[in-house]
Amino acid sequence: MVDESNAPVLERDSAREDTRRKKSAKPKGRQVTDADLKAVAQIIDAMPRRRDMLIEALHLIQDAQGHLSAPYLAALAELFRLSQVEVYEVASFYHHFDIVKEGEATPPPTTIRVCDSLSCAMAGAEALIADLEDSHESGKVRIQRVPCIGRCAAAPAAQIGKRAVDHATLASIGSTDDVSEVVPDYETLAAYRKAGGYRMLADVLSGEITPDSAIETMSDAGLRGLGGAGFPAGRKWSIVRSHHGPRLMTINGDEGEPGTFKDRHWLESQPHRMFEGAQIAARVVGCERVYIYMRDEYPAVIEILRREIEALETSDIDVVPMEIRRGAGAYICGEESAMIESIEGKRGLPRHRPPYIAEIGLFGRPTLNHNVETLAWVPDILAHGADWFAAKGKPDHPGLRSYSVSGRVKEPGVKLAPAGTSVRELIEDYSGGMEDGHTFKAYLPGGASGGILPASLGDIPLDFGDALFKHGAFVGSHAIVVLSDQDNIKDAVVNLMKFFEHESCGQCTPCRGGTEKMVKLLSKPGALDEGAIRDLEQVMRDASICGLGQAAPNPVNHLLTHFRDEI
Amino acid sequence: MSELVTFTLDGQTVSASRDETIWSVAKREGTRIPHLCHLDKPGYRPDGNCRACMVEIEGERNLAASCIRKVTDGMVVSTQTERADKARRMVFEMLAADMPERAASPDDQSAFWHWAGTWGIDGADQRLPAAGFETPLGHDLTNPAIAVNLNACIACGLCVRACREVQVNDVLGMGERGHHAVPVFDIHDPMGQSTCVTCGECVQACPTGALYEKSLMDDEGKSREINVFDREVDSVCPFCGVGCQTTVRIKDEKIVQVDGRDGPANENRLCVKGRFGFDYVHSSERLTKPLIRRDDAPKHGDIDMRFMDVSDVFREASWDEALDRAAGGLKQILDRDGGQALSGFGSAKGSNEEAYLFQKLVRQGLGSNNVDHCTRLCHASSVAALLEGVGSGAVSAPFTDALQSDCIIVIGARPTTNHPVAATYLKHAAKQGAKLMVFDPRQQDLMRHATHAVQFKPGTDVAMLNAMLHVIIDEGLYDEQYIQANVDGFDALRAKVKDFSPEAMADVCGVSADMLRDCARTYATSERSIIFWGMGISQHTHGTDNSRCLIALALTTGHIGRPGTGLHPLRGQNNVQGASDAGLIPMMFPDYQLVEDNDIRSNMEDAWGRALDPKRGLTVVEIMDAIHDDRIKGMYIMGENPAMSDPDQTHARAALAKLEHLVVQDIFLTETCWHADVVLPASAHAEKLGTYTNTNRQVQIGRPAIDPPGDARQDWELIVALANQLELAWAYPQGVADIYREMASHMPSLAGISWEMLEEHDAVTYPLDSKTGVGRDVIFDDGFPTADGRGKLVPADLLPPDEVPDEEFPLVLTTGRLLEHWHTGAMTRRASVLDDIEPEGIAAMNPREISRQGFAAGQIVEVETRRGLVKALLRSDREVADGMIFMPFAFNESPANALTNPQLDPFGKIPEFKFCAARVRSAASDRVQAAE
Repeated sequence: MVDESNAPVLERDSAREDTRRKKSAKPKGRQVTDADLKAVAQIIDAMPRRRDMLIEALHLIQDAQGHLSAPYLAALAELFRLSQVEVYEVASFYHHFDIVKEGEATPPPTTIRVCDSLSCAMAGAEALIADLEDSHESGKVRIQRVPCIGRCAAAPAAQIGKRAVDHATLASIGSTDDVSEVVPDYETLAAYRKAGGYRMLADVLSGEITPDSAIETMSDAGLRGLGGAGFPAGRKWSIVRSHHGPRLMTINGDEGEPGTFKDRHWLESQPHRMFEGAQIAARVVGCERVYIYMRDEYPAVIEILRREIEALETSDIDVVPMEIRRGAGAYICGEESAMIESIEGKRGLPRHRPPYIAEIGLFGRPTLNHNVETLAWVPDILAHGADWFAAKGKPDHPGLRSYSVSGRVKEPGVKLAPAGTSVRELIEDYSGGMEDGHTFKAYLPGGASGGILPASLGDIPLDFGDALFKHGAFVGSHAIVVLSDQDNIKDAVVNLMKFFEHESCGQCTPCRGGTEKMVKLLSKPGALDEGAIRDLEQVMRDASICGLGQAAPNPVNHLLTHFRDEI
Repeated sequence: MSELVTFTLDGQTVSASRDETIWSVAKREGTRIPHLCHLDKPGYRPDGNCRACMVEIEGERNLAASCIRKVTDGMVVSTQTERADKARRMVFEMLAADMPERAASPDDQSAFWHWAGTWGIDGADQRLPAAGFETPLGHDLTNPAIAVNLNACIACGLCVRACREVQVNDVLGMGERGHHAVPVFDIHDPMGQSTCVTCGECVQACPTGALYEKSLMDDEGKSREINVFDREVDSVCPFCGVGCQTTVRIKDEKIVQVDGRDGPANENRLCVKGRFGFDYVHSSERLTKPLIRRDDAPKHGDIDMRFMDVSDVFREASWDEALDRAAGGLKQILDRDGGQALSGFGSAKGSNEEAYLFQKLVRQGLGSNNVDHCTRLCHASSVAALLEGVGSGAVSAPFTDALQSDCIIVIGARPTTNHPVAATYLKHAAKQGAKLMVFDPRQQDLMRHATHAVQFKPGTDVAMLNAMLHVIIDEGLYDEQYIQANVDGFDALRAKVKDFSPEAMADVCGVSADMLRDCARTYATSERSIIFWGMGISQHTHGTDNSRCLIALALTTGHIGRPGTGLHPLRGQNNVQGASDAGLIPMMFPDYQLVEDNDIRSNMEDAWGRALDPKRGLTVVEIMDAIHDDRIKGMYIMGENPAMSDPDQTHARAALAKLEHLVVQDIFLTETCWHADVVLPASAHAEKLGTYTNTNRQVQIGRPAIDPPGDARQDWELIVALANQLELAWAYPQGVADIYREMASHMPSLAGISWEMLEEHDAVTYPLDSKTGVGRDVIFDDGFPTADGRGKLVPADLLPPDEVPDEEFPLVLTTGRLLEHWHTGAMTRRASVLDDIEPEGIAAMNPREISRQGFAAGQIVEVETRRGLVKALLRSDREVADGMIFMPFAFNESPANALTNPQLDPFGKIPEFKFCAARVRSAASDRVQAAE
């Protein structure tokens, strides 16, 4: 027939043929191997292959492998019966996961995370980062800038692996081989019970305290949501309870608002206050399961929670089942609906409202969500009564609050003070005054998103409501950062905006584009384009999906309003 | 409509359903609100992320996204305030700041620029700074059909919803976060190296052109080049039996774009073939002149014209000469040997009208019932069993009914490959909670969505299905009332399946007894269960038995005749249902009227004015045998390619070469044409008018988008010309419409469906309900179209495949298709995008088997059976079971059908494509060459 020597072959270009061959040698896309399947199955072991466990599974692989390799992600997808992108999009959302594609270098075995949020930046984080970069080989140790890790009272703070270092210096950071978390002494279950703990839960379980009376007590005490929104706890309980079960409960331990460290304080000292409060709330509202979402930046807290949940479950106390879900480095997951998405094993994108999570929350069920500190007050309030708690506050500001005070004060830390305390009082009466040589100039009343006010407004009672609101500010999680005459306000505002830029989830245009463009507009040399800045501020406020984008321009507004001489 | 609410929209009091969004009510009221991330099309959920549609609601601190916010009683909404307008404008300003200017953007006519233009935003003179960083894989041209330009991406996630929620391909996602958020393929891979199946849904959805058709762009794939279309034509897809409606766009007499249209079977969706497989019609290989075999070009079965000049074998001829020669040869045999010496193969790719004319020509003009088409190779056994069991070969319910099912069985079918758009409905059903059971000897994509993924031993269908029937009967899960009222043969079935306990069958079929029981119970006890099947059931020597078992499942449990229940053989070709309906089969006239029934035949004789062959004709494979036996000497083949599609290809090609006279009418010089005496250049689907009946019994209209090339002519005109050469005096002055009317007059199933109705609606389901005049999606709701109205159970016995592996040929070879390649590849291998994605013949084995045998993926292997030897590239594919080889049959350089076993199912006469014994070895040369 056809003389072979003269016959045109199907493909003459041999390079092209090679590529084609390679492509034809397998079905489309990355193929999973039996060996990788086996390896990943071993790492995740008995973990149920359920979608909501995806982030937990990613943690296990990251912990075991030091990173997430693309072949392992593909294998994990197959084990979870997900597509590859369903795994990748989740993994790539969270900063604590290091994805390594084929042919890319793996990260060094040790990572030193240095906080560069405002309090730490003011305390010299930049210099520390420079020192670290000079003294470590990049192949062996990775120096990573990270947003607030909740150790602002001991700025600058760093983490070597899971080991936190306060007042970090090259010397105090020490050996990079020591990467385990350090669990502080805390009140164990036995100690807490010895001091009378879990009596209130017993009263709730026995019917001594009825759900209605518990709700009434919370309302009368004026207990409000201390994660930042300030929603009255009693009302929340009755709303969630009014929706048909089955109901679930979540505890928001994603304390990421820069300057905030009170929840860590409570959990590292008296974790059972929260546990008992949670168990009471779950019983009163009728929640079948409690999910504790804890930020990955707090490994010691996670260890405490693990130990104490086990202790509770093996005790004679009748507990509603609880499980811990680890965050993975995403501030936005402190937003309750984003946190719920994250618990469901997804990217932490805030949901639209309505519907509210009280009606359609975790796994589509009515969900009671509380901040750690809010719950921690519940046993005391039931034990001592609503009036006892309400009377602890200033007039018209019922209750006690844990203010996280950091910045230019002599004695930063968690300050238990009456609701409605002013920043001036917190500085002078609780924090030993300003640091030597510093004059009070400005303060953040509520972390990065609460705005930045001048010292002239330093007598405003720090509480939820109008007093701050009319100045375009809020108290939020009660994170007070004090700035002095030696701090540049515009630099501080840029620091805050960079934080929001870094932490925006990227879902909606105003926040995704707004935070990024605001940083650029503020950092541009020359006069600020105030028209563009104001327009950007307005669209972020008016049109962002969640509070992050809506509140992000607060400091910018204050910069243009109160600190005009700094621009 | 659910409960009504009343609210105020821009000062007007408006009523709306509680489920409606502000945006949709505003649209209804005539107010257009800008939108980007919201696509107002079926299947797209509003997401509210782009914030282009913000409105003010009285009493709310922030603006609300109107696309996602539902209306409530008493709500006061203002869509046209300064504040809302400013927010929207800022959204566009921000997005435009990060995009190329309008003129340089991938699609300057995109929805984005349309809305941006309303504020005069064109991307020039930005006051907002650009993000100014490089997105990884930002300009990605690795996909042959789609250009990715992420500098135009606004991260609205429409492409992700398209891929995940509409098509459920789950390849695209939103990766990273913040302003780095970006659509990614798989693990942030180049599109062309990902698991992307190139359905193009994302392109159709993208509001900026960040994902855009290369066919409309400049060579660099950066911006749109074809800015206006000369015309657009509403039509239907030429490829599979799903029957997706399309809009075809033409520029300079070339098809440049195909989009999905909102048809009943696709709701705008398409797959890679339908959307990107259109350019075969413009192939330089199109036949444009009639060809006559040269006197000095003898025929032989192993001719391979792939690397020969056409002129070595054929000479061009005038139409007069070609038609004269074509008809003359047939007439000579007719006059000499009688009609029994002639036969015809029509095509399931042609229209109903063409199928009708073709079978009429063979029956009336050639005087024989030897007319068949590729249905014989697809679902003939299914149809045989269905006609026997329920009196009709058509589906009892459309595949879209899966959305109403509680339990869905998919067996012997790989819809994500072969019926991709139908598969989207199955995946949707599974996502909304239906139980999905997928039975396949190979793993497949659908199994990821399945509640029951059952990989069983090839060829053991009857064992597995009888075991399920055993459970249903043994555990009393059958519907006694339904059986009493509607079904005969239950006792015989009960007696037969008594010995088929799951425990006894577990080893036979390789499925655990527990799984078999669970499947049987789930199917039987669900409120609504439906069964889909494909060639994996039918292409066996026991294909009819396989189908009988499926029919028995439905009839014993009463899962038929109600919405969400029934029997649905997924039909392969775009018009295999219609061609069969139109009588393109040897035993029946149009509408399955038996040729051997004297009353029926005499009616047709009256209509067609001459005596007709009283005996049923021969089927596809039987005709090949009859040629070898010198009983058949002449053939007319229109649009079929038996040289590639028939089993034991060497035998089939030898038969074609042996014919005294072969007329082939086609658009390409197919492998069948190589053996022809006369080749008639004809019209492609995109060039003709006609109706096509999809797997759902929906008759749809296809319209011409372009003219046939050169001297090529309309197929129907050529059939008529031949008929008139044979002195049949046919006349269809109004063309296709006239043919349709004549055909419908012989088909009670089309009663009430006029040509005008089809032209108006584009799709009509048959039969019409006699009372409402509306097409009936679900049939058999009141008994069956059998003589006594009752269904019939026929027990099936265990029969091994005809040729089982042995020491000499230790592996099982199974054949089928790839997503990109249609049937014998005549069209798709000439479609540049499709051939680019799957460019060469492969044989697939799993990686364990490959390493056991000492092969390497990517090498050339020789696959051999008792029929022949074929070289192919070895593909490592975990879906293929141990001990198996899978080969697609679309590649003429690696023709799988040179290997397949021509043994037939005794009832359906369908060959056993799905099972034969084979062996594999490394090829001596690492190159696939012209056949020696």
